[in-house]
Amino acid sequence: MPRLTPRGVLVAAVAAAAIAAILGGCGRSAASAEPHRIGVIVSLTGSYAGLGDPEKNALIMEQERVNDEGGVNGRSIELVFADDGTDEARAVTAASKLIEQDRVVALIGATGTGQSMAIRGDIRRSAVPQVSMAGGTVITDEFDENVFQTPWSNTIVVPFVLDYLRERGLTRVALLTDAGGYGKDGHAIVTAEAPKAGLEIVEDQTFKPGDTDMTAQLTRIKGSDAEVILMWAAGKEAVTVANNREQLGIDLPLVGGPGNARREFIQGAEEAAEGFVLCAGRILVPGAYGEDTEEYRVAADFIERYREKFGKDPDIFAGHAYDAFHIVVEALRRLPREYAPVHLRDEIEATSGFVGIGGTFTFSPTDHNGLSADELVMYRVENGEWVLEE
Amino acid sequence: MGFPELLQFTFAGLKNGAVYALLALGFTIVYASTGVINFAQGEFYMLGGMLAAFLFAAYGLPLPFAAVGAVAVAAGVGVVFELLAIRPRKDGDPLALIIITVGGSILIKALSRHVFGPDEVSMPVFTRGASLEVAGARLELQTLWIWGLTATTVAALTFLYRRTAFGRAMRACAVNRRAARIVGVDTRTMVMASFGLAAALGALGGLAVTPLTQMRFDAGSSVALKGFAAAILGGLGSPVAAVVGGVVLGLLESMSIAFLSSTYKDAVALVVLLAVLFMRPQGLLGRARREKL
Repeated sequence: MPRLTPRGVLVAAVAAAAIAAILGGCGRSAASAEPHRIGVIVSLTGSYAGLGDPEKNALIMEQERVNDEGGVNGRSIELVFADDGTDEARAVTAASKLIEQDRVVALIGATGTGQSMAIRGDIRRSAVPQVSMAGGTVITDEFDENVFQTPWSNTIVVPFVLDYLRERGLTRVALLTDAGGYGKDGHAIVTAEAPKAGLEIVEDQTFKPGDTDMTAQLTRIKGSDAEVILMWAAGKEAVTVANNREQLGIDLPLVGGPGNARREFIQGAEEAAEGFVLCAGRILVPGAYGEDTEEYRVAADFIERYREKFGKDPDIFAGHAYDAFHIVVEALRRLPREYAPVHLRDEIEATSGFVGIGGTFTFSPTDHNGLSADELVMYRVENGEWVLEE
Repeated sequence: MGFPELLQFTFAGLKNGAVYALLALGFTIVYASTGVINFAQGEFYMLGGMLAAFLFAAYGLPLPFAAVGAVAVAAGVGVVFELLAIRPRKDGDPLALIIITVGGSILIKALSRHVFGPDEVSMPVFTRGASLEVAGARLELQTLWIWGLTATTVAALTFLYRRTAFGRAMRACAVNRRAARIVGVDTRTMVMASFGLAAALGALGGLAVTPLTQMRFDAGSSVALKGFAAAILGGLGSPVAAVVGGVVLGLLESMSIAFLSSTYKDAVALVVLLAVLFMRPQGLLGRARREKL
């Protein structure tokens, strides 16, 4: 037992009461059946709410499944959710509360890159492992031994996309990025990697999240000698770009990244989305794995259960949450029933060959993203559906 | 740069400018009757788009009915907001009222997040068809709708203000609320009507833009900021001033993309706004007057 402050006693009493209530009627003693408590920071309000919502759905679904199957080493999983409102300051408050009051063993989150980075101080101080669901490269580039990440980072995706462009002979690129965190991250990596891939950025335009018209930027691109438009943006503005491109009669191909892998994009742009090419993991078309693979079975099972429970297909963000959850849970499974917190971090880092939704994860002491370009494929929008780009 | 490109940049500026103008009109109307800036104005823009898309998709209403319904409901929300939040503050202290509108903005945003969900919604364009070709530049039909709606609104508002007893009462209320009350104008109703009218105009802007951009519960604030800038630039005076402010702001943005870079478009617009205010604190078309805010 750690030091017994009055507050500590109170917390312990409340926790014990809560556990007793949960386990009421169950034969086990409260102490031995204490759940593995995992904190979750997601954006359920604010501009990333559309991403945080499916993440929370997936997490609740997986928590129920693991607990129905008997939990982990005889202990159940208890997720403690906190909404950061897509706000860095609230993410920090949430992290402090989860770590200090709820005494979580690990943190899943946050939804956004900015929020994931904002809680770095708390992670360092407490050494609670964090598995982020945000795609910003900075999360694992600014390395911390306690921080892991499940989406494909831009350092993997961008070179893959640039290779695709070069193979198609599209060497003169017009870059169109949003000025938010995701677009900025992509912009920095595209401009650094393009010369290495033998590509030239001939036009470099940005827009602000919330802008309602991109025809001016696209007119600049139309007047250049670009052969392709590369868009790096995660918000609804991608729809405006697609619509405006159609409207201006620009026939340059439009290519994007995983930030556009949302149904809302196709619904919003309709015909203007046709022919749009983007890069993402294989979850959009699980058949891309080949039907008799472990990857396919995991993805198909997840999609089916999600569809049944929530009445719609999971998107890539639900997949990132699934991966974060199971990476932590699998690490817990490998640990003894009682363990020191530092061992959980070590076990997460020892994750090897874990087949998730985003791909097969293998972490190492220097790689906390764990994915490779092998997980990525190019898609094309055809008749309102994602199809594999040959 | 050839003429077609220049024309294309002009179209882009005028299109954004018309949207800013509709928001600026809302700021102007509320400011005239109460002397406060209504920071919830952007939420009515958002509500217009969300409600129209919702009525269209969920209830299968024909587009014109969904549009009218959305404007009517948004106007109703504006009126209710005035009754519940603005009117009880009897002393009319502008600072307190401004804080109240900020609170209202947060409340409306949070409620729409729960009612409509976190995802963006879509709506079809009002008239299907290919873009028009004008002297080498493209003009989409929805832009014509936006311009048409803005022009009609300004004409109707000008008529209302100049030719009807109701409009004259509103203007009297704007010039001097106490004097207006003394001569028998029901100033409380005028304030309520101004909130309803401003909400309807914001909603109109939102629903006209939604087919091109989609709409989401948090889309109001960034556009409202532009509308606010346009209103200040124009001078917070007449409907025409709001439109001039909106169009100038829209053109500034698109021309800075044309001749500089899109990175600087907001900065250029802001610098010009500051410069104008420095030389003409009353705005481009405003008359010098006593400052209330």
